[in-house]
Amino acid sequence: MSTLTAAKRSGRLRGEPPERARRLPEWLVGWAFVLPAVALFLVMGVYTIGSGFALSFAKWNGFTPEWTWVGIQNYLDLLYADPSLAPEFRAAAWHTAQVMIAVPVLTVVISLPLAVALNSIRRLRSVLRSVYFLPYVTSGIAVYYAWRYVLEPDGAVNLLLRAAGLGSLAQPQGFLGNPATALPTLIVVLVWSSVPIATLLYLSGLQAIDPNMIEAAQIDGAAQRQVLRRIVWPLLRPITAAIVLLGVRDALHGFQIFLIMTGGGPGGHTDVLGLQTYRLSFMKGLAQTLGVASALGWLLFAGALLLTLVNARMLRRVK
Amino acid sequence: MTTSKAGRVAAYAALAVYAVISVYPFLWMVSGAFKDRTEILRGGHLIPQHFTFDTIVTTWSQLRFFEYFRNSLVVTGLTVLGVLVVYSLASYAFAVLEFPGRRILFWFFVSLLFVPGITVLLPVVILEKNLGLLGTHIGLVLPFVNGTAPLTVLLLTNSYRSIPRELREAARTDGARETRIFWSVYLPLARPAHITIAVLTAVPTWNEYVLTRVSITDHSRYTLPLGLESLIASEVPRYNEVMAASLIIVLPVIALFLFLQRYFVTGLVGAIKG
Repeated sequence: MSTLTAAKRSGRLRGEPPERARRLPEWLVGWAFVLPAVALFLVMGVYTIGSGFALSFAKWNGFTPEWTWVGIQNYLDLLYADPSLAPEFRAAAWHTAQVMIAVPVLTVVISLPLAVALNSIRRLRSVLRSVYFLPYVTSGIAVYYAWRYVLEPDGAVNLLLRAAGLGSLAQPQGFLGNPATALPTLIVVLVWSSVPIATLLYLSGLQAIDPNMIEAAQIDGAAQRQVLRRIVWPLLRPITAAIVLLGVRDALHGFQIFLIMTGGGPGGHTDVLGLQTYRLSFMKGLAQTLGVASALGWLLFAGALLLTLVNARMLRRVK
Repeated sequence: MTTSKAGRVAAYAALAVYAVISVYPFLWMVSGAFKDRTEILRGGHLIPQHFTFDTIVTTWSQLRFFEYFRNSLVVTGLTVLGVLVVYSLASYAFAVLEFPGRRILFWFFVSLLFVPGITVLLPVVILEKNLGLLGTHIGLVLPFVNGTAPLTVLLLTNSYRSIPRELREAARTDGARETRIFWSVYLPLARPAHITIAVLTAVPTWNEYVLTRVSITDHSRYTLPLGLESLIASEVPRYNEVMAASLIIVLPVIALFLFLQRYFVTGLVGAIKG
């Protein structure tokens, strides 16, 4: 007993660790730690991705026990072969493309000056930042209903326009009821909800710029406009690229706002690809549309991947 | 940047205008929630002429809002808990431990960011139908947790990597096991990152509508967004009640935001730059 303790003590004096807990090999511990995440992913991810991909080559209505294999017919139907699906797909793709271009551009155009202004003031900065952030935090069904309410025929926006003497711009059927204004209106709401993050990113980018650099330029006689164009804008380019990337991704992935505010109407004028996928998946009753819905989902994935790669390349070139 | 006085005035003016735009729908949400049924139809004033609390009270009781509120709380709470447990363990392994397959697995999780939710929505519903999970709260929580994987793994792994490795070595020398190091060294030190993740998970989960809509059919399991939707689905939407319900949904999120603001801001910037 006493000799053991003495041995231990001398071990400690020699710098050996005290009675080591018996350790499992590190690779085993590593696998044990990632196991829950991998298990969940095997069930919710691998299986769903695999079966969804397989389904895109079949016809099925969700109830019959058997799938009917049709090869790539679903993809062809969407792209040109089916006389009712293909035009719907093309219209939705066109609307999606408009959203994909307009939303990022307008977001940048609004949030960059906002961030520059926010960065130039000292008082109220944090209060304003919180106020600007509100649309992001609350984005969801509640706020979209509030927008619907203010865009109604007798809603606040029309009243405001009439009161300001711009009654000719008011929309008697409501901004979402008129086919000509519905999509632009939704784009405005989308920009409204994506400005918060963009402004925040630009603000953090502006705060990271070395003030000495700007001061040096000003001493050399550069005007405010030149400083913005020649120094600030190039330094913020990676952030702009990130905002554009997020906007493009949202345009392809997101359709909640379309589902809640217009359901694609009036007359399909605000239909987008995500919404079409949703309709084919869940609103066609006993029709065999599940395969074509999966195919559309995978076309969306391919589009998102392609645009991300292009964007990433551009980003690298900028850097 | 030094700015002229005129420039500063212009800056404040622009900022004020956008501040109004930013809160515009909320102003009318609050306004509508305190109007009665006749006044809401006439539209009109932002400040209610016949100010009433009845709308909020009836909306709350009539629509079993307390029940929906509790359901939302259960779903959001379990999702946040699941995300924190599952991905803090996984991220610790990715950041600290050496094991075969580590890099591939990490990049695999992160690259899932590019799979659109709608692409897997239908297969998830079919799978849950087969497993008998469709329409239950767990049936929502599992895909929600899995859906946060890319961003959470990215953020937490970065945060654990920034903790000095010497701390782990020291703990190991003192004989601590891996679980102990994880629990007593890494979890406390990375607390801000965990709060960020909790907040970034809670907000979209609280507002989630699409998967919830297609899977939950039983009224007693409705979450708040579905309860709100059932209001507007009735023939003529009573916008005062819709706005009252919207306000009830939005207020907890705004409260959460105001309390945990800095975690939102730093977390988002970190997540997007990382």
